[in-house]
Amino acid sequence: MNQSKFEVWLGLLWMFLKVNMLSPSGPASIGLLYKEAVGKIMTEAQFVEAVGFSNVLPGSEALKLAMFVGFAAGGIPGVFTALLGAILPPTVLMFVVAAMLQRFQHEDWLNGFVAGLSPAVAALIVVVAWELFRASTRQKIDRRAWFIAGLSALALWSAMPSPMVLLGAGILGVILYGQRS
Amino acid sequence: MEELLPLFLIFMKVNLLSTSGPASVGLLYHEVVGKWVTEAQFVQAVGLSSVLPGSDALQLAMYIGYTVAGIPGGLVALLASILPPTVIILGVTMILHRLRREAWVSNFVEGLAPAITVLMLFTAWKIFQKGGATGWEGWTIGILSLISMLLKVPERIVVIIAALVGVFFLS
Repeated sequence: MNQSKFEVWLGLLWMFLKVNMLSPSGPASIGLLYKEAVGKIMTEAQFVEAVGFSNVLPGSEALKLAMFVGFAAGGIPGVFTALLGAILPPTVLMFVVAAMLQRFQHEDWLNGFVAGLSPAVAALIVVVAWELFRASTRQKIDRRAWFIAGLSALALWSAMPSPMVLLGAGILGVILYGQRS
Repeated sequence: MEELLPLFLIFMKVNLLSTSGPASVGLLYHEVVGKWVTEAQFVQAVGLSSVLPGSDALQLAMYIGYTVAGIPGGLVALLASILPPTVIILGVTMILHRLRREAWVSNFVEGLAPAITVLMLFTAWKIFQKGGATGWEGWTIGILSLISMLLKVPERIVVIIAALVGVFFLS
């Protein structure tokens, strides 16, 4: 690499600013990032591995993917550059919109806005939930996954705190899926 | 000011227990609605973060932080959402190959996934129920939205149209 480090970082920052301005959500950014990063910064295998790890580890997956790509391009400083590029656009936009909406909080049209939004948001969550269920099990949705899902539903139905339910499901996963190997 | 620490802890918890941005919606709903924000504010936050470009999980966090405690609240929520994945990634890039052999990590996540899905379905139902339009209008919007998203219409377009329908016909 005959570029200076500074140029590498600037390129990274610009790349992530671009990806995050153009994609509406974390998962949607994966496709864009693929086109920008594969071949230039990392190999296809590295990228696939980064996506895999981002899905497995806790926290926002778009951020983790950005940091993996940043690391491949410029080590630890690359990680922070990628983070900055991924955070800046949503932060600025959100603060502007949030500040605007606070002013309108008691306007009449906002009630209609929320009333129309609610069913669509509910539908959005259902779609994402289904995609998540399908994508995150290794091969196919097996009996163990349904078992955990059923048990979670029961626990949530009886008003068990949701962090407890998730923690329990994770531990159950360790027990059930651990026996396979 | 005294809201900032609990805010920080909630977002840390949510980000440690969910593997991706969208998955955090269900958990976040149970942690903040009623305590910090109203049902309507939460729906606005989810709707807006799916419309605006950039990571929707971060935007959701910031919107809720902002509603609770202004700009400092938004920044605290952002920090708490970023910290767990950053620390983990920095650790993982160094011990990447060791962790791959630690099967229990991926088993834990595999167990987490069905529970998160169920939690999200519960959340979706609650949002739908309390959203104000549960008559035939609400069902129509919900079912049409579901169908169009399954047909791969971009989510932000669906959300914008639903909100506009609400503004013109439901207010």
